[in-house]
Amino acid sequence: MQEEHVNCSATLSATLSLGRCDGLREDTVDRERALDRFLAGIERRAFRIACIALRDRAEAEDTVQDAMISLVRSYGRHPEDQWRPLFYRILRNRITDFQRRRKVRRAVMAWWPGQETDEEAPDPFESAVDPRGRPDEVLEGEELLARIEELLAGMSSRQREAFLLRNFEGLDVAQAALAMGCSEGSVKTHYFRAMQALNGALGEWKK
Amino acid sequence: MNEEMRELERRSRAAFDKSVESQDAATRSRLARARADAFKQLQRRPVAGPALWIPAGAAAAALVATVLWQREEGLPAVAQVETTVGALEDLDLMAAGDDFDLLGEDPGFYAWADEQTSDGVG
Repeated sequence: MQEEHVNCSATLSATLSLGRCDGLREDTVDRERALDRFLAGIERRAFRIACIALRDRAEAEDTVQDAMISLVRSYGRHPEDQWRPLFYRILRNRITDFQRRRKVRRAVMAWWPGQETDEEAPDPFESAVDPRGRPDEVLEGEELLARIEELLAGMSSRQREAFLLRNFEGLDVAQAALAMGCSEGSVKTHYFRAMQALNGALGEWKK
Repeated sequence: MNEEMRELERRSRAAFDKSVESQDAATRSRLARARADAFKQLQRRPVAGPALWIPAGAAAAALVATVLWQREEGLPAVAQVETTVGALEDLDLMAAGDDFDLLGEDPGFYAWADEQTSDGVG
């Protein structure tokens, strides 16, 4: 009788723990599916933003992939509403890493005798004046975006980030602050300055 | 923000959205593959094998030697314990094999954390 009771307890305990395992497994699978959906919905915009920040498609792809890996590996257990600002925080850090590495590479190449820094050479297609763009026309679509990209490249990284996250990605001030690792007030200031600079520089195109 | 700037906001966002929608199939496919790879990496997370234990063992031996040497120098007993615990925590972090881009993640936080540790010891 005593032995039977022990056996029953053991079976029940095993069943419960198996149930718990199944529950955990289901939870993990659900999380992974939700993460996959989240990344699928964000990856194309994130790639475009990385392209604008880095001005290099291959590097942009690498940074987006790194950010995906990091989010899946380290932050998947965070609440879903935090994924977006966290993802952009990681992406921002990866972009900064790439930019730093690029600077070091350029500095080393500049010291190396007889080496050409082909990254410095302007792309003749990019630097060519677009015959379609004239100040008396209203700039729209691709042309407007290309001009904005040029102007963003000349801004401080903080202003560029604030503009990309607030305007292009549509993060609210609090999310952008989390992604940029600064205060909400700082996001507002940087965003306003970026908008002001763009508006000033594009003024001639809006007449 | 004035009306002119709001209009620029709207137009630039529309241009960006359009550029995202018109991404070519090859780019979309590469991004989808990158996403799949991210999940694959999660499934085969590295397990600490013998190769990892060799440098970890060497680091632990160096740590013990350092602690013994510091004891010789006559540090107070409490400081010795704190130094050892802190160093072991560092070793644990390094042996975990996780992403180690500390400064990249949040430099402000680590500066603050460093100050806290210094305050505790001193």
